[in-house]
Amino acid sequence: MVFDWDGTAVPDRGADATGVRDVVEGLSGLGMDVAVVSGTHVENIDGQLRARPSGPGRLHLCLNRGSEVFVVDSVGPRCVYRRVASPAEDAALTAAAELVVDRLRARGLDARIVSARLNRRKIDLIPEPEWSDPPKARIEELLLAVEERLHRCGFDGLPEVAAAAEVAAAEVGLSDARVTSDAKHVEIGLTDKSDSARWILDDLWRRGIGPGLVLIIGDEMGSLGGLPGSDSLMLVPEARRSTAVSVGVEPAGVLPGVIWLGGGPATFLSLLEDQLRRRAQGSVPQLDEDPAWILTVEGLDPQLERVHEALLTIADGRIGTSGSPLGAHPSATPAVLAAGLYDGEGPEEQLLPGPVWNQLPIDLDSGIVVRRMLDLRTGVLRHEMDTAAGPMHAVSLSSLSRPGCVVLRVQGPPRPLVPGPSLVPPPGRDVEVGETDGTDWMRVGGSHGGVVAVAIDTERRDRVECLTLDRLGAYEPDSDGKSSLDAALRSLGEAGRRGFDHLLVDHRAAWGGRWEQAEVVIEGDPELQKAIRFALFHLMASVADSEEASVGARGLTGPGYRGHVFWDSDVFVLPFVAATHPRSARAMLEYRIRRLPAAREAAVAAGCAGARFPWESAGTGVDVTPRLARDHTGRARAIRTGQQEEHVVADVVWAAACYLDWSGDQAFASGPGRELLVETARYWASRIRRDEKGRGHIYGVIGPDEYHETVDDDAFTNVMARWNLRRAARVVTDDPGESMRGEAGRWLELADSLVDGFDPNTGLYEQFAGFFELEPLVIRDLARRRPVAADLLLGAERVRGAQVIKQADVLMLHHMVPDEVAPGSLVPNLDFYEPRTAHGSSLSPGVHAALFARVGRLEEAVDALRLAARIDLDDLTGTTASGLHLAAMGSVWQALAYGFAGIRPHGGVLQVDPRLPEAWSALEIPVLFRGRRIRVRVEPARATIEADGPAEIELPGVPVPTTVESAGVRLRRSREGWEVET
Amino acid sequence: MMRKVIAAIDDTAAARSVLATGRLVAELFEASLEAVHVRDDGARTARTAAAVAGLQLREVDGPVVDALVLEARASEVAALTLGARATPAGRRPAGHVALEVITAVPRPVAVVPPDVRPQRDLRRLVVPLNGTWATANALAGVIELACRCDLDVVILHVLDEESLPPFSDQPHHEAEAWLREFMARQCPAAAARAELRVGVPAHAVEATAVEMGADLIALSWSQELAPGRAAVVREVLERGRIPVLLVPIRQGNSERAP
Repeated sequence: MVFDWDGTAVPDRGADATGVRDVVEGLSGLGMDVAVVSGTHVENIDGQLRARPSGPGRLHLCLNRGSEVFVVDSVGPRCVYRRVASPAEDAALTAAAELVVDRLRARGLDARIVSARLNRRKIDLIPEPEWSDPPKARIEELLLAVEERLHRCGFDGLPEVAAAAEVAAAEVGLSDARVTSDAKHVEIGLTDKSDSARWILDDLWRRGIGPGLVLIIGDEMGSLGGLPGSDSLMLVPEARRSTAVSVGVEPAGVLPGVIWLGGGPATFLSLLEDQLRRRAQGSVPQLDEDPAWILTVEGLDPQLERVHEALLTIADGRIGTSGSPLGAHPSATPAVLAAGLYDGEGPEEQLLPGPVWNQLPIDLDSGIVVRRMLDLRTGVLRHEMDTAAGPMHAVSLSSLSRPGCVVLRVQGPPRPLVPGPSLVPPPGRDVEVGETDGTDWMRVGGSHGGVVAVAIDTERRDRVECLTLDRLGAYEPDSDGKSSLDAALRSLGEAGRRGFDHLLVDHRAAWGGRWEQAEVVIEGDPELQKAIRFALFHLMASVADSEEASVGARGLTGPGYRGHVFWDSDVFVLPFVAATHPRSARAMLEYRIRRLPAAREAAVAAGCAGARFPWESAGTGVDVTPRLARDHTGRARAIRTGQQEEHVVADVVWAAACYLDWSGDQAFASGPGRELLVETARYWASRIRRDEKGRGHIYGVIGPDEYHETVDDDAFTNVMARWNLRRAARVVTDDPGESMRGEAGRWLELADSLVDGFDPNTGLYEQFAGFFELEPLVIRDLARRRPVAADLLLGAERVRGAQVIKQADVLMLHHMVPDEVAPGSLVPNLDFYEPRTAHGSSLSPGVHAALFARVGRLEEAVDALRLAARIDLDDLTGTTASGLHLAAMGSVWQALAYGFAGIRPHGGVLQVDPRLPEAWSALEIPVLFRGRRIRVRVEPARATIEADGPAEIELPGVPVPTTVESAGVRLRRSREGWEVET
Repeated sequence: MMRKVIAAIDDTAAARSVLATGRLVAELFEASLEAVHVRDDGARTARTAAAVAGLQLREVDGPVVDALVLEARASEVAALTLGARATPAGRRPAGHVALEVITAVPRPVAVVPPDVRPQRDLRRLVVPLNGTWATANALAGVIELACRCDLDVVILHVLDEESLPPFSDQPHHEAEAWLREFMARQCPAAAARAELRVGVPAHAVEATAVEMGADLIALSWSQELAPGRAAVVREVLERGRIPVLLVPIRQGNSERAP
């Protein structure tokens, strides 16, 4: 709630504000943020309001006409923002005011500069005793008196004086001066209430509260003497979805869209009291229904319900809950998955389903109309159910601020809303249940531990016809029996003491914080923009940021791929979190680090040294890839990826390097990161075979193009191994006193010896030995459309004998390790391999989008990006029901960051080399590089790079790195590319 | 009212197979079996076959097609069984009587190839579903009945170039997930198993049913044999190796479901 003070909240500065204070403190206690916007200073407002709220809602005083902001807590006000004028600006304000007064006096109007307030000068147009301090209630009389006075001196009215003030300000060099009037004064300032409104809306946005949830109240929401009323300045474009109310006299009416109530401070107080009453009754919070951020599913479609539930999954990195409806329906599949908790052995090892917390004993198959809305901005899922007895509303969330805690509030008629068990067993699972001190608990056991959930319901019946149910739940991995139950009970107790309102505020703020560091803005393509938000939302929700983060191919959004961890997580998901939330990237690496012992054993079993990470990994880190399975053709097929797709070893280290390059985490670099590098380098060193000419080979592997198995010298595998060896050698030799330099020297020698299939004459890498001898085919001659699962269409044998590839293979090198491939080789390899690529993997379009962008084929880049971004939204695979394609989502971010924005860490500097498609008017992307928040905005003719502290940026065409600070760097598009504006 | 399945037999050796299949279909539909012969140029073989099957033959008059259609339209009739043709060979997918009857009767019709060996039991039913609502809806009742009879019900879907999923990341995981969702959409409540094939549906359905040792194929169709329509039905009838139960699609769209 944002409101004006004088004339809105109180009739005058001497009025008793006790009533307002009580309500403001009450609202704050129930989680509502309140902001007072006023032209005056803190002593006046705080002296009159004297509120000392203790939260969770915050009280802001946005004062001095937009130049200051104070936050008020139980101690008192504390300044959090002040616009500091430069001496030149200060002098210019005075000069402008004096110029105006001189010109008014020259025409016979006695006007005076009455005060020099912070960043503004106030000119009294009616310096007469009768009008020394007029109350707002006399505004109409005051206006008449001022206008009469102005007319006497030949002025048309206030607008002419304001225009004169603007001219004077411009004459003294104030190009963006704010001229305002309260009828008695005309003021020249550097800021006005629009700045207050922008500040508070931006602050709320960053706390997960969108403008659609903001109520703006004032008493001057129309015009005043031909000038905009001072409160109408709060109605900035950013507030267009806010509700605006006027309680003022408004002699000239209010702006379109503003609700006029009149009644002054009394009406205002009743509005506040109404809000307080709603909050106290535990009403179900609204969402900011901005279609750009809300994913809405109307009704229950038996065909698509499971897809919808995956799309609407809410998760906190540890616990994921399908977006199923709250009641029973034949097509609904409520499910809860806990990250990293598996059941079963070997290839059958799969994510363990946990107790379900979001179910109520409501039969939704009985004519109840259901609507679900997921707010991608805040991770809150709202349910609306139209029942015969009346509407029922609910919100549910998986707390991002308290991972493992889940919250549900539902409100509706006592029938059909009846309390039921707070935890429901997952289908087909034996559970252990109990109650401890009134709290239900349920335990699901698996072969590698289990999960325990606790939950408690609180009911309120405020009116006969309305029941409110709050449910809190907490989940803990259950590896050691009772202690997990105790931990879950403790977690639930803490959440319970915090209460629903606090939990919601904390959760929204946590999401707000994550988006602030992750939101990629595309202007000019709202559909793609929303698809990108959808992808980033699920990426953020799927990765924990403490201890270890086990990120399966479908994250926590479904049981698909049994929750197995592939290179998807290392190569596709990790870069996004490394650049936006490094703690999550570190947790993902911790998952691999804790499984190094298993990787070492796997290397030994393969007759090698070092560590060999598995193609499919689950709980223990041993390979869980099946050896035999049925495919789409219904036939049993040997699965060789577990034995041969060894590039995963280098992929894991590439992820570690990616994290290091973005974060600069030296503790990791010298500790577990170094161990990963060394152990994987040892693996490759023992895996490479030298021929009689001394050339190094890796025989019998599968590259990312899984259509071709048991190939020799796969370019991707060899070059990644070479990169792995070189990077490890660099780390070891950079370490003073290191005793492994001899071993590192051998790594370098082996790296240099590895064949990579590159032909300098053509600029092409041969994908593997003999690839160029295969039947030459391009996909357009085989299939009417791409992407296409070519192995299914043509049969495995046919594609094996042809130059038909599943996904980027050679090109993956250009994407992942551009410094490790021959300079200038991207274009010829893209020209050669892309037409031969079926894109039969969901990982392929995003990577190609990035590569197309790098070479300037921007239309193709956008098409590929759009395809990658909509894989799940359009259920293109027919398998979204079993979970979302997280790696494709990660590839979307990489296409935007690495491809279009050209942002990439390179040593200790950040490369920025943007490409903007014609259809987009802007691309904006934030990253966190070496602890610095950096924001790159690209427009057709220019780009800006801002940082919150010194950061070294490598710009195209600029020979030495540029240091970017908070003032930012501006680039101008030139014929050759970009050049720095001076 | 007791439901019945009519076995429409002619005066040829194919009558035995039709009666045997009719008995299996009657078990499936939990109905009694009645043998009917439309008098044409003799009924001796038909009478003998009915007697061997322990059934009394009801003989009716009239043009064969009209008479059978009239019989099959009776409200107590659950299904009709008839022979595809009198002799194994032929240019058309079935004889003219069979073709005219199957396109006119608003009931399930089991068409029995002339040289099919009579089965004692119905053990395996193959139900091809093309992924449309209409097909799945039309066959839902038959699938439910078959599951209730503890038959091995195999839901068969054939992916062709148009319906192939564009992506197949890790085929072993992908096929499992795809099929699970296909079944959830097409046969949510059935205790049936699913099989996938890739190819031209018209060929793959019949070949897969033979490969799997199906006793009966259940196909839904819109009862149109115009060129370009009912390719799977044509192929299955033409090859004539397994009896096929044709279930008319009454209404609804044919939008592809998954």
